[in-house]
Amino acid sequence: MQSTDWNNKLRRRIVDLVYTGQDGHIPSAFSIVDIISTLYRNVLRVDPANPEWPERDYFILSKGHGCVALYTVLAERGFLTEDDLSTFCRKGGILGEHPDRNKVPGVEASTGSLGHGFPFSVGIGIGLKLKNRSNKIYTLLGDGECHEGSVWESAHLAANHELSNLTVVVDWNQSGQQLLPLDNLPEKWRSFGFETMVIDGHSESELKSTLEAARLNETNRPTAVIARTTKGKGVPLIEGHGPWHHKIPSEDEYKQIMKVLS
Amino acid sequence: MTTVIGIDKPIREQFADTMLRVGKRDEELVVMVGDISHGVLSPFREEFPERYFNVGILESAMISMAAGLSSLGFRPVVHTIAPFLLERAFEQIKLDFCYQGLPGNLVTVGSAFDYSNLGSTHHCYGDFAMLKTLQNTDILFAGSASEFDVLFDQAYSNHRLSVYRLPSRSHGVEIDPRDIRIGEPIKIREGSDITLIATGPQLASVVGAVDQLVAEGWDPEVLYVHSIRPMATKLIRESIGKTGKFVTVEEHMEAGGFGDDILRVTRDMPNITSASIAIPGTFVLDYGTYDEHLETLGMTPDGVVRKVAETFGQR
Repeated sequence: MQSTDWNNKLRRRIVDLVYTGQDGHIPSAFSIVDIISTLYRNVLRVDPANPEWPERDYFILSKGHGCVALYTVLAERGFLTEDDLSTFCRKGGILGEHPDRNKVPGVEASTGSLGHGFPFSVGIGIGLKLKNRSNKIYTLLGDGECHEGSVWESAHLAANHELSNLTVVVDWNQSGQQLLPLDNLPEKWRSFGFETMVIDGHSESELKSTLEAARLNETNRPTAVIARTTKGKGVPLIEGHGPWHHKIPSEDEYKQIMKVLS
Repeated sequence: MTTVIGIDKPIREQFADTMLRVGKRDEELVVMVGDISHGVLSPFREEFPERYFNVGILESAMISMAAGLSSLGFRPVVHTIAPFLLERAFEQIKLDFCYQGLPGNLVTVGSAFDYSNLGSTHHCYGDFAMLKTLQNTDILFAGSASEFDVLFDQAYSNHRLSVYRLPSRSHGVEIDPRDIRIGEPIKIREGSDITLIATGPQLASVVGAVDQLVAEGWDPEVLYVHSIRPMATKLIRESIGKTGKFVTVEEHMEAGGFGDDILRVTRDMPNITSASIAIPGTFVLDYGTYDEHLETLGMTPDGVVRKVAETFGQR
Protein backbone atom coordinates (compact mmCIF):
# COMPACT_ATOMS: atom_id res chain seq x y z
CA MET A 1 0.00 0.00 0.00
CA GLN A 2 1.34 3.38 -0.98
CA SER A 3 2.01 5.45 2.10
CA THR A 4 1.10 9.07 1.66
CA ASP A 5 0.91 12.39 3.37
CA TRP A 6 -0.51 14.17 0.34
CA ASN A 7 -3.64 15.24 2.15
CA ASN A 8 -2.02 16.21 5.46
CA LYS A 9 -3.27 19.77 5.09
CA LEU A 10 -6.84 18.48 4.97
CA ARG A 11 -6.16 16.22 7.94
CA ARG A 12 -4.89 19.17 9.95
CA ARG A 13 -8.06 21.06 9.15
CA ILE A 14 -10.13 18.06 10.23
CA VAL A 15 -8.33 17.97 13.57
CA ASP A 16 -8.78 21.71 13.98
CA LEU A 17 -12.49 21.40 13.32
CA VAL A 18 -12.95 18.62 15.84
CA TYR A 19 -10.69 20.25 18.44
CA THR A 20 -12.40 23.63 18.25
CA GLY A 21 -15.90 22.22 17.79
CA GLN A 22 -15.25 19.68 20.57
CA ASP A 23 -17.07 17.01 18.59
CA GLY A 24 -16.60 14.80 15.55
CA HIS A 25 -15.07 11.56 14.33
CA ILE A 26 -11.41 12.10 13.41
CA PRO A 27 -10.45 8.49 12.54
CA SER A 28 -13.48 8.01 10.30
CA ALA A 29 -12.69 11.25 8.51
CA PHE A 30 -9.01 10.31 8.05
CA SER A 31 -10.16 7.02 6.58
CA ILE A 32 -12.11 8.69 3.78
CA VAL A 33 -10.57 12.10 3.24
CA ASP A 34 -8.29 10.90 0.44
CA ILE A 35 -11.26 9.40 -1.41
CA ILE A 36 -13.38 12.54 -1.10
CA SER A 37 -10.49 14.81 -1.93
CA THR A 38 -9.73 12.86 -5.12
CA LEU A 39 -13.36 12.93 -6.16
CA TYR A 40 -13.67 16.69 -5.77
CA ARG A 41 -10.23 17.52 -7.20
CA ASN A 42 -10.17 15.15 -10.13
CA VAL A 43 -13.44 13.44 -10.89
CA LEU A 44 -16.70 15.20 -10.06
CA ARG A 45 -18.14 17.86 -12.32
CA VAL A 46 -19.39 20.42 -9.87
CA ASP A 47 -19.67 24.20 -9.68
CA PRO A 48 -19.11 25.70 -6.23
CA ALA A 49 -20.67 28.96 -7.43
CA ASN A 50 -23.82 27.05 -8.37
CA PRO A 51 -24.15 23.98 -6.14
CA GLU A 52 -27.45 23.05 -7.81
CA TRP A 53 -26.05 23.23 -11.33
CA PRO A 54 -28.27 20.77 -13.26
CA GLU A 55 -25.33 19.18 -15.08
CA ARG A 56 -23.42 18.42 -11.88
CA ASP A 57 -22.31 15.05 -10.67
CA TYR A 58 -23.66 13.90 -7.33
CA PHE A 59 -21.65 12.86 -4.31
CA ILE A 60 -23.47 11.37 -1.34
CA LEU A 61 -21.72 10.56 1.90
CA SER A 62 -23.84 7.64 3.05
CA LYS A 63 -21.61 7.21 6.13
CA GLY A 64 -22.52 10.68 7.31
CA HIS A 65 -20.45 10.57 10.49
CA GLY A 66 -17.31 11.10 8.43
CA CYS A 67 -18.58 14.53 7.38
CA VAL A 68 -15.71 16.60 8.76
CA ALA A 69 -13.70 15.18 5.86
CA LEU A 70 -16.41 16.31 3.45
CA TYR A 71 -16.61 19.77 5.03
CA THR A 72 -12.89 20.36 4.68
CA VAL A 73 -12.96 19.32 1.03
CA LEU A 74 -16.07 21.42 0.33
CA ALA A 75 -14.26 24.37 1.88
CA GLU A 76 -11.17 23.73 -0.22
CA ARG A 77 -13.34 23.65 -3.36
CA GLY A 78 -15.14 26.86 -2.40
CA PHE A 79 -18.55 25.51 -1.40
CA LEU A 80 -17.96 26.58 2.20
CA THR A 81 -16.18 29.54 3.75
CA GLU A 82 -13.80 29.76 6.68
CA ASP A 83 -16.65 31.36 8.61
CA ASP A 84 -18.80 28.32 7.89
CA LEU A 85 -16.08 26.01 9.21
CA SER A 86 -15.70 28.11 12.34
CA THR A 87 -19.31 27.33 13.23
CA PHE A 88 -18.86 23.54 13.26
CA CYS A 89 -21.08 22.14 16.00
CA ARG A 90 -21.94 25.65 17.17
CA LYS A 91 -25.48 26.80 17.85
CA GLY A 92 -26.71 28.66 14.81
CA GLY A 93 -24.09 27.15 12.49
CA ILE A 94 -24.77 25.09 9.40
CA LEU A 95 -22.26 22.31 10.06
CA GLY A 96 -23.21 19.56 12.45
CA GLU A 97 -21.83 16.13 13.05
CA HIS A 98 -23.86 14.80 10.17
CA PRO A 99 -24.34 16.60 6.84
CA ASP A 100 -27.63 18.31 6.09
CA ARG A 101 -28.72 19.00 2.52
CA ASN A 102 -30.94 21.87 3.58
CA LYS A 103 -28.10 23.69 5.32
CA VAL A 104 -24.83 22.88 3.60
CA PRO A 105 -24.12 23.96 0.00
CA GLY A 106 -22.98 20.96 -2.02
CA VAL A 107 -24.51 18.33 0.25
CA GLU A 108 -27.01 16.27 -1.74
CA ALA A 109 -28.55 14.16 1.03
CA SER A 110 -28.93 14.45 4.77
CA THR A 111 -27.27 11.36 6.16
CA GLY A 112 -26.16 10.01 9.49
CA SER A 113 -28.49 7.09 10.03
CA LEU A 114 -26.62 4.39 8.15
CA GLY A 115 -28.19 2.69 5.17
CA HIS A 116 -30.09 5.72 3.84
CA GLY A 117 -27.70 7.51 1.50
CA PHE A 118 -27.17 4.58 -0.83
CA PRO A 119 -30.86 3.89 -1.63
CA PHE A 120 -31.37 7.65 -1.96
CA SER A 121 -28.55 7.58 -4.54
CA VAL A 122 -30.26 4.74 -6.37
CA GLY A 123 -33.35 6.96 -6.70
CA ILE A 124 -31.18 9.71 -8.15
CA GLY A 125 -29.57 7.24 -10.53
CA ILE A 126 -32.94 6.01 -11.78
CA GLY A 127 -34.22 9.56 -12.06
CA LEU A 128 -31.24 10.69 -14.10
CA LYS A 129 -31.76 7.78 -16.47
CA LEU A 130 -35.44 8.69 -16.80
CA LYS A 131 -34.41 12.22 -17.74
CA ASN A 132 -31.74 10.94 -20.15
CA ARG A 133 -29.08 12.90 -18.34
CA SER A 134 -25.43 11.95 -18.20
CA ASN A 135 -24.65 13.12 -14.66
CA LYS A 136 -22.85 10.57 -12.48
CA ILE A 137 -23.46 9.59 -8.88
CA TYR A 138 -20.77 8.58 -6.40
CA THR A 139 -21.81 7.21 -3.03
CA LEU A 140 -19.42 6.53 -0.19
CA LEU A 141 -20.40 3.78 2.26
CA GLY A 142 -18.73 2.45 5.36
CA ASP A 143 -17.95 -1.24 5.59
CA GLY A 144 -19.83 -1.37 8.90
CA GLU A 145 -22.72 0.31 7.10
CA CYS A 146 -22.73 -2.71 4.80
CA HIS A 147 -24.30 -4.64 7.66
CA GLU A 148 -27.52 -2.74 6.99
CA GLY A 149 -30.12 -4.66 5.02
CA SER A 150 -31.09 -1.57 3.03
CA VAL A 151 -27.58 -1.54 1.53
CA TRP A 152 -28.18 -4.90 -0.10
CA GLU A 153 -31.75 -4.01 -1.06
CA SER A 154 -30.24 -1.05 -2.85
CA ALA A 155 -27.46 -3.07 -4.44
CA HIS A 156 -30.12 -5.39 -5.78
CA LEU A 157 -32.01 -2.43 -7.22
CA ALA A 158 -28.96 -0.71 -8.70
CA ALA A 159 -27.83 -3.81 -10.57
CA ASN A 160 -31.29 -4.75 -11.79
CA HIS A 161 -31.92 -1.22 -13.04
CA GLU A 162 -28.50 -1.27 -14.76
CA LEU A 163 -27.34 1.91 -13.09
CA SER A 164 -24.06 2.31 -14.90
CA ASN A 165 -24.16 5.96 -13.80
CA LEU A 166 -23.66 4.92 -10.17
CA THR A 167 -20.39 4.20 -8.40
CA VAL A 168 -20.31 2.93 -4.85
CA VAL A 169 -17.09 3.43 -2.93
CA VAL A 170 -16.79 1.32 0.19
CA ASP A 171 -14.48 2.57 2.92
CA TRP A 172 -13.08 -0.87 3.76
CA ASN A 173 -11.26 -0.02 6.96
CA GLN A 174 -12.32 -3.25 8.67
CA SER A 175 -14.73 -1.60 11.09
CA GLY A 176 -17.42 -4.03 10.05
CA GLN A 177 -15.08 -6.96 10.48
CA GLN A 178 -14.66 -6.09 14.17
CA LEU A 179 -18.25 -7.20 14.64
CA LEU A 180 -18.89 -9.75 11.90
CA PRO A 181 -15.62 -11.30 10.81
CA LEU A 182 -16.99 -13.00 7.69
CA ASP A 183 -16.51 -9.92 5.59
CA ASN A 184 -15.65 -10.73 2.01
CA LEU A 185 -16.99 -7.50 0.63
CA PRO A 186 -15.55 -7.71 -2.90
CA GLU A 187 -17.21 -11.07 -3.45
CA LYS A 188 -20.51 -9.79 -2.13
CA TRP A 189 -20.55 -6.77 -4.44
CA ARG A 190 -19.53 -8.92 -7.43
CA SER A 191 -22.30 -11.37 -6.68
CA PHE A 192 -24.81 -8.53 -6.67
CA GLY A 193 -23.82 -7.64 -10.22
CA PHE A 194 -21.41 -4.75 -9.70
CA GLU A 195 -18.22 -4.12 -11.64
CA THR A 196 -16.01 -4.55 -8.61
CA MET A 197 -12.41 -3.60 -7.96
CA VAL A 198 -10.24 -3.40 -4.86
CA ILE A 199 -7.82 -0.51 -4.53
CA ASP A 200 -5.69 1.33 -2.00
CA GLY A 201 -8.03 3.98 -0.63
CA HIS A 202 -5.14 6.23 0.39
CA SER A 203 -3.27 6.18 -2.93
CA GLU A 204 -3.87 9.29 -4.97
CA SER A 205 -2.91 7.58 -8.22
CA GLU A 206 -5.07 4.49 -7.68
CA LEU A 207 -8.04 6.53 -6.53
CA LYS A 208 -7.74 8.92 -9.44
CA SER A 209 -7.45 6.30 -12.14
CA THR A 210 -10.16 4.06 -10.71
CA LEU A 211 -12.73 6.76 -9.99
CA GLU A 212 -12.15 8.43 -13.36
CA ALA A 213 -12.53 5.08 -15.10
CA ALA A 214 -15.79 4.51 -13.24
CA ARG A 215 -17.01 7.80 -14.62
CA LEU A 216 -16.54 6.42 -18.12
CA ASN A 217 -18.22 3.10 -17.33
CA GLU A 218 -19.53 1.68 -20.59
CA THR A 219 -21.00 -1.51 -19.18
CA ASN A 220 -24.61 -1.79 -18.09
CA ARG A 221 -23.52 -2.46 -14.54
CA PRO A 222 -22.94 -0.16 -11.57
CA THR A 223 -19.43 0.02 -10.13
CA ALA A 224 -18.24 -0.89 -6.65
CA VAL A 225 -14.81 0.38 -5.63
CA ILE A 226 -13.70 -1.40 -2.49
CA ALA A 227 -11.14 0.96 -1.02
CA ARG A 228 -8.75 -0.58 1.47
CA THR A 229 -8.31 2.08 4.09
CA THR A 230 -7.00 2.59 7.60
CA LYS A 231 -9.16 4.18 10.21
CA GLY A 232 -7.23 7.20 11.48
CA LYS A 233 -4.80 6.96 8.55
CA GLY A 234 -1.79 9.23 8.88
CA VAL A 235 -1.42 9.49 12.65
CA PRO A 236 -0.31 6.29 14.42
CA LEU A 237 -1.63 7.57 17.74
CA ILE A 238 -5.20 7.36 16.53
CA GLU A 239 -5.04 4.62 13.89
CA GLY A 240 -7.17 1.52 14.33
CA HIS A 241 -10.36 0.69 16.13
CA GLY A 242 -9.63 1.82 19.64
CA PRO A 243 -11.02 4.63 21.75
CA TRP A 244 -10.39 7.36 19.19
CA HIS A 245 -13.56 6.70 17.16
CA HIS A 246 -15.39 9.63 18.76
CA LYS A 247 -12.65 11.03 21.01
CA ILE A 248 -11.75 14.70 21.22
CA PRO A 249 -8.01 15.27 21.59
CA SER A 250 -6.67 16.96 24.70
CA GLU A 251 -4.34 19.92 24.24
CA ASP A 252 -1.28 17.66 24.46
CA GLU A 253 -2.80 15.13 22.06
CA TYR A 254 -3.75 17.90 19.67
CA LYS A 255 -0.14 19.08 19.60
CA GLN A 256 1.14 15.54 19.06
CA ILE A 257 -1.26 14.93 16.18
CA MET A 258 -0.44 18.24 14.52
CA LYS A 259 3.26 17.52 14.83
CA VAL A 260 2.83 14.25 12.96
CA LEU A 261 0.82 15.97 10.27
CA SER A 262 3.10 18.98 9.86
CA MET B 1 -78.26 14.16 2.66
CA THR B 2 -78.63 11.17 0.37
CA THR B 3 -77.12 7.85 1.33
CA VAL B 4 -76.31 5.45 -1.48
CA ILE B 5 -74.62 2.50 0.19
CA GLY B 6 -72.67 0.15 -2.03
CA ILE B 7 -72.61 1.80 -5.46
CA ASP B 8 -69.20 3.43 -5.26
CA LYS B 9 -66.28 2.24 -7.36
CA PRO B 10 -63.68 0.24 -5.37
CA ILE B 11 -61.23 2.79 -4.02
CA ARG B 12 -58.15 0.88 -5.19
CA GLU B 13 -59.61 0.89 -8.71
CA GLN B 14 -60.09 4.64 -8.42
CA PHE B 15 -56.47 4.97 -7.29
CA ALA B 16 -55.36 3.30 -10.52
CA ASP B 17 -57.68 5.46 -12.62
CA THR B 18 -56.42 8.58 -10.91
CA MET B 19 -52.79 7.61 -11.56
CA LEU B 20 -53.55 7.24 -15.26
CA ARG B 21 -55.44 10.51 -15.43
CA VAL B 22 -52.83 12.54 -13.55
CA GLY B 23 -49.96 10.70 -15.21
CA LYS B 24 -51.17 11.86 -18.61
CA ARG B 25 -50.90 15.49 -17.68
CA ASP B 26 -47.87 15.31 -15.39
CA GLU B 27 -44.82 13.54 -16.73
CA GLU B 28 -43.06 13.85 -13.38
CA LEU B 29 -45.53 11.41 -11.78
CA VAL B 30 -43.79 8.09 -11.07
CA VAL B 31 -45.64 5.08 -9.66
CA MET B 32 -43.69 2.60 -7.55
CA VAL B 33 -45.32 -0.53 -6.14
CA GLY B 34 -44.13 -3.22 -3.78
CA ASP B 35 -45.34 -6.15 -5.87
CA ILE B 36 -49.07 -5.47 -5.50
CA SER B 37 -51.94 -4.01 -7.57
CA HIS B 38 -50.46 -5.04 -10.94
CA GLY B 39 -53.89 -5.74 -12.37
CA VAL B 40 -55.57 -2.44 -11.60
CA LEU B 41 -52.45 -0.46 -12.46
CA SER B 42 -51.87 -2.18 -15.80
CA PRO B 43 -53.36 0.74 -17.81
CA PHE B 44 -50.80 3.10 -16.24
CA ARG B 45 -48.01 0.57 -16.76
CA GLU B 46 -48.92 0.09 -20.42
CA GLU B 47 -49.22 3.82 -21.05
CA PHE B 48 -46.10 4.84 -19.14
CA PRO B 49 -43.83 1.81 -18.76
CA GLU B 50 -40.80 4.01 -18.04
CA ARG B 51 -42.61 5.63 -15.11
CA TYR B 52 -43.95 2.46 -13.54
CA PHE B 53 -41.71 0.47 -11.22
CA ASN B 54 -42.58 -2.79 -9.56
CA VAL B 55 -39.70 -2.16 -7.23
CA GLY B 56 -39.73 -5.46 -5.41
CA ILE B 57 -40.17 -6.58 -1.84
CA LEU B 58 -37.82 -4.11 -0.21
CA GLU B 59 -39.87 -1.34 1.31
CA SER B 60 -37.07 0.45 3.18
CA ALA B 61 -34.96 0.97 0.08
CA MET B 62 -38.07 1.77 -1.95
CA ILE B 63 -38.90 4.73 0.29
CA SER B 64 -35.34 6.11 0.21
CA MET B 65 -35.20 5.56 -3.54
CA ALA B 66 -38.47 7.47 -3.92
CA ALA B 67 -37.00 10.32 -1.89
CA GLY B 68 -34.02 10.36 -4.23
CA LEU B 69 -36.37 10.63 -7.19
CA SER B 70 -38.23 13.42 -5.41
CA SER B 71 -34.98 15.33 -4.98
CA LEU B 72 -34.74 15.47 -8.78
CA GLY B 73 -38.25 16.92 -9.08
CA PHE B 74 -40.22 13.75 -9.74
CA ARG B 75 -43.52 13.20 -7.91
CA PRO B 76 -43.23 9.65 -6.58
CA VAL B 77 -46.31 7.65 -5.63
CA VAL B 78 -45.28 4.65 -3.53
CA HIS B 79 -47.89 1.97 -3.04
CA THR B 80 -48.01 -1.22 -1.04
CA ILE B 81 -49.60 -2.80 2.03
CA ALA B 82 -49.79 -0.40 4.97
CA PRO B 83 -47.67 -2.10 7.66
CA PHE B 84 -44.81 -2.78 5.28
CA LEU B 85 -44.81 0.69 3.81
CA LEU B 86 -45.35 2.68 7.00
CA GLU B 87 -44.17 0.61 9.93
CA ARG B 88 -41.20 -1.18 8.38
CA ALA B 89 -39.94 1.88 6.55
CA PHE B 90 -40.86 4.49 9.15
CA GLU B 91 -37.33 5.77 9.68
CA GLN B 92 -36.86 6.14 5.94
CA ILE B 93 -40.11 8.12 5.75
CA LYS B 94 -39.05 10.27 8.68
CA LEU B 95 -35.53 11.06 7.53
CA ASP B 96 -35.53 10.76 3.76
CA PHE B 97 -38.82 12.53 3.08
CA CYS B 98 -39.86 14.52 6.12
CA TYR B 99 -36.56 15.69 7.58
CA GLN B 100 -35.16 16.53 4.18
CA GLY B 101 -38.35 18.40 3.28
CA LEU B 102 -38.97 16.36 0.15
CA PRO B 103 -42.49 15.94 -1.21
CA GLY B 104 -44.03 12.62 -2.16
CA ASN B 105 -47.09 10.40 -1.94
CA LEU B 106 -47.52 7.15 -0.06
CA VAL B 107 -50.68 5.19 -0.86
CA THR B 108 -51.45 2.28 1.42
CA VAL B 109 -53.92 -0.56 1.22
CA GLY B 110 -54.74 -2.87 4.10
CA SER B 111 -56.36 -0.15 6.17
CA ALA B 112 -56.57 -1.11 9.86
CA PHE B 113 -57.81 -4.75 9.83
CA ASP B 114 -59.09 -4.85 6.24
CA TYR B 115 -56.96 -7.97 5.71
CA SER B 116 -58.86 -9.51 8.58
CA ASN B 117 -57.94 -13.15 7.97
CA LEU B 118 -54.25 -12.43 7.40
CA GLY B 119 -53.71 -11.57 11.04
CA SER B 120 -51.61 -8.99 12.80
CA THR B 121 -48.70 -9.11 10.35
CA HIS B 122 -50.98 -7.50 7.76
CA HIS B 123 -52.93 -5.14 10.02
CA CYS B 124 -52.05 -1.49 10.52
CA TYR B 125 -54.13 0.54 12.96
CA GLY B 126 -51.51 2.72 14.59
CA ASP B 127 -50.64 4.65 11.44
CA PHE B 128 -52.31 7.95 12.36
CA ALA B 129 -50.42 7.97 15.65
CA MET B 130 -47.07 7.28 13.98
CA LEU B 131 -47.56 9.70 11.14
CA LYS B 132 -48.74 12.52 13.38
CA THR B 133 -45.24 12.65 14.87
CA LEU B 134 -43.84 13.65 11.49
CA GLN B 135 -43.54 17.17 10.22
CA ASN B 136 -44.35 18.21 6.68
CA THR B 137 -46.82 15.33 6.40
CA ASP B 138 -50.50 15.16 5.51
CA ILE B 139 -52.61 12.13 6.51
CA LEU B 140 -55.58 11.56 4.23
CA PHE B 141 -58.21 8.88 4.68
CA ALA B 142 -60.44 8.82 1.63
CA GLY B 143 -63.65 7.00 2.46
CA SER B 144 -64.88 6.83 -1.10
CA ALA B 145 -63.50 6.66 -4.62
CA SER B 146 -64.47 10.19 -5.51
CA GLU B 147 -62.87 11.51 -2.33
CA PHE B 148 -59.57 9.90 -3.23
CA ASP B 149 -59.68 11.39 -6.71
CA VAL B 150 -60.39 14.88 -5.39
CA LEU B 151 -57.95 14.74 -2.48
CA PHE B 152 -55.13 13.39 -4.66
CA ASP B 153 -55.61 16.24 -7.10
CA GLN B 154 -55.43 18.74 -4.29
CA ALA B 155 -52.44 17.26 -2.49
CA TYR B 156 -50.18 15.26 -4.78
CA SER B 157 -48.09 18.12 -6.08
CA ASN B 158 -47.83 20.23 -2.95
CA HIS B 159 -44.52 20.45 -1.16
CA ARG B 160 -45.35 17.96 1.54
CA LEU B 161 -45.48 14.23 2.06
CA SER B 162 -49.04 13.00 1.59
CA VAL B 163 -49.98 9.63 3.06
CA TYR B 164 -53.23 8.13 1.80
CA ARG B 165 -55.04 5.29 3.54
CA LEU B 166 -57.21 3.37 1.05
CA PRO B 167 -59.91 1.33 2.80
CA SER B 168 -61.34 -1.76 1.18
CA ARG B 169 -64.87 -0.44 1.55
CA SER B 170 -66.44 2.91 0.88
CA HIS B 171 -68.62 4.58 3.48
CA GLY B 172 -71.29 4.73 0.79
CA VAL B 173 -72.42 8.24 1.64
CA GLU B 174 -72.75 10.55 -1.30
CA ILE B 175 -70.77 13.75 -0.82
CA ASP B 176 -70.65 16.54 -3.37
CA PRO B 177 -67.05 16.57 -4.65
CA ARG B 178 -67.13 20.36 -4.46
CA ASP B 179 -67.40 20.02 -0.68
CA ILE B 180 -64.19 18.00 -0.44
CA ARG B 181 -61.28 20.25 0.47
CA ILE B 182 -58.12 19.00 2.07
CA GLY B 183 -58.11 19.71 5.77
CA GLU B 184 -61.80 20.62 5.97
CA PRO B 185 -64.26 18.43 7.91
CA ILE B 186 -67.68 18.14 6.32
CA LYS B 187 -71.05 18.52 7.98
CA ILE B 188 -73.20 15.60 6.86
CA ARG B 189 -76.24 16.28 9.05
CA GLU B 190 -77.29 19.33 11.03
CA GLY B 191 -78.28 18.50 14.60
CA SER B 192 -78.49 20.10 18.01
CA ASP B 193 -77.72 17.90 21.00
CA ILE B 194 -74.89 15.46 20.19
CA THR B 195 -72.03 15.50 17.67
CA LEU B 196 -71.03 12.26 15.97
CA ILE B 197 -67.68 12.46 14.15
CA ALA B 198 -66.42 9.68 11.90
CA THR B 199 -63.50 9.09 9.59
CA GLY B 200 -63.18 6.63 6.70
CA PRO B 201 -65.75 3.86 6.25
CA GLN B 202 -67.10 4.48 9.75
CA LEU B 203 -69.16 7.32 8.38
CA ALA B 204 -71.54 4.51 7.40
CA SER B 205 -71.95 3.46 11.04
CA VAL B 206 -72.67 6.98 12.17
CA VAL B 207 -75.09 7.78 9.36
CA GLY B 208 -76.72 4.39 9.88
CA ALA B 209 -77.29 5.19 13.57
CA VAL B 210 -79.07 8.46 12.97
CA ASP B 211 -82.61 7.14 12.50
CA GLN B 212 -82.49 5.07 15.69
CA LEU B 213 -81.04 7.95 17.68
CA VAL B 214 -83.73 10.27 16.37
CA ALA B 215 -86.33 7.69 17.35
CA GLU B 216 -84.86 7.77 20.85
CA GLY B 217 -85.20 11.53 21.01
CA TRP B 218 -81.72 12.65 19.97
CA ASP B 219 -80.97 15.19 17.25
CA PRO B 220 -77.45 14.19 16.21
CA GLU B 221 -75.12 16.40 14.22
CA VAL B 222 -72.85 14.31 11.98
CA LEU B 223 -69.38 15.46 10.94
CA TYR B 224 -67.04 13.63 8.60
CA VAL B 225 -63.25 13.90 8.62
CA HIS B 226 -61.22 12.75 5.60
CA SER B 227 -58.09 14.72 6.51
CA ILE B 228 -56.57 13.56 9.75
CA ARG B 229 -53.85 16.12 9.18
CA PRO B 230 -54.27 18.93 8.42
CA MET B 231 -57.63 19.24 10.17
CA ALA B 232 -59.40 22.59 10.45
CA THR B 233 -61.04 22.98 13.84
CA LYS B 234 -63.66 25.69 13.33
CA LEU B 235 -66.55 23.44 12.31
CA ILE B 236 -65.69 20.89 14.99
CA ARG B 237 -65.54 23.47 17.78
CA GLU B 238 -68.73 25.14 16.65
CA SER B 239 -70.58 21.84 16.61
CA ILE B 240 -69.31 20.60 19.95
CA GLY B 241 -69.80 24.03 21.48
CA LYS B 242 -73.44 23.75 20.44
CA THR B 243 -74.10 20.14 21.51
CA GLY B 244 -71.73 19.74 24.48
CA LYS B 245 -71.29 16.05 23.64
CA PHE B 246 -69.41 14.08 21.03
CA VAL B 247 -68.57 10.56 19.96
CA THR B 248 -65.68 9.77 17.59
CA VAL B 249 -65.65 6.60 15.51
CA GLU B 250 -62.51 5.38 13.76
CA GLU B 251 -60.80 2.20 12.56
CA HIS B 252 -57.64 3.06 14.46
CA MET B 253 -56.25 2.50 17.92
CA GLU B 254 -57.77 4.79 20.49
CA ALA B 255 -54.32 5.98 21.56
CA GLY B 256 -53.12 8.45 19.00
CA GLY B 257 -56.21 8.23 16.85
CA PHE B 258 -58.18 11.13 15.46
CA GLY B 259 -60.39 11.03 18.56
CA ASP B 260 -57.36 12.23 20.52
CA ASP B 261 -57.11 15.16 18.13
CA ILE B 262 -60.74 16.08 18.78
CA LEU B 263 -60.11 15.95 22.53
CA ARG B 264 -57.18 18.33 22.07
CA VAL B 265 -59.31 20.61 19.91
CA THR B 266 -61.89 20.86 22.70
CA ARG B 267 -59.73 20.90 25.82
CA ASP B 268 -60.30 24.57 26.52
CA MET B 269 -64.07 24.17 26.14
CA PRO B 270 -66.04 23.75 29.39
CA ASN B 271 -68.58 21.04 30.18
CA ILE B 272 -67.89 18.73 27.27
CA THR B 273 -68.45 14.98 27.63
CA SER B 274 -67.28 12.51 25.03
CA ALA B 275 -66.78 8.90 24.07
CA SER B 276 -64.67 7.04 21.54
CA ILE B 277 -65.31 3.99 19.43
CA ALA B 278 -61.88 2.77 18.39
CA ILE B 279 -59.57 -0.21 18.67
CA PRO B 280 -58.45 -0.71 22.27
CA GLY B 281 -54.77 -1.04 23.10
CA THR B 282 -54.48 -4.66 22.11
CA PHE B 283 -53.77 -6.56 18.92
CA VAL B 284 -56.82 -7.58 16.91
CA LEU B 285 -56.11 -11.27 17.37
CA ASP B 286 -59.16 -12.97 15.96
CA TYR B 287 -59.77 -14.09 12.38
CA GLY B 288 -63.02 -13.80 10.47
CA THR B 289 -64.49 -11.21 8.15
CA TYR B 290 -64.06 -7.46 8.22
CA ASP B 291 -67.72 -7.16 9.21
CA GLU B 292 -67.27 -9.57 12.10
CA HIS B 293 -64.38 -7.43 13.38
CA LEU B 294 -66.57 -4.33 13.10
CA GLU B 295 -69.28 -6.08 15.09
CA THR B 296 -66.84 -7.07 17.84
CA LEU B 297 -65.44 -3.54 18.08
CA GLY B 298 -68.84 -1.83 18.10
CA MET B 299 -68.17 -0.15 14.78
CA THR B 300 -71.72 -0.54 13.50
CA PRO B 301 -74.89 1.57 13.63
CA ASP B 302 -76.05 -0.45 16.63
CA GLY B 303 -72.64 0.00 18.23
CA VAL B 304 -72.90 3.76 17.88
CA VAL B 305 -76.40 3.76 19.39
CA ARG B 306 -75.17 1.61 22.29
CA LYS B 307 -72.17 3.87 22.91
CA VAL B 308 -74.40 6.94 23.04
CA ALA B 309 -76.72 5.26 25.53
CA GLU B 310 -73.84 3.96 27.69
CA THR B 311 -72.14 7.33 27.79
CA PHE B 312 -74.98 9.81 27.91
CA GLY B 313 -77.96 7.73 29.11
CA GLN B 314 -81.39 7.77 27.60
CA ARG B 315 -82.68 10.93 26.02
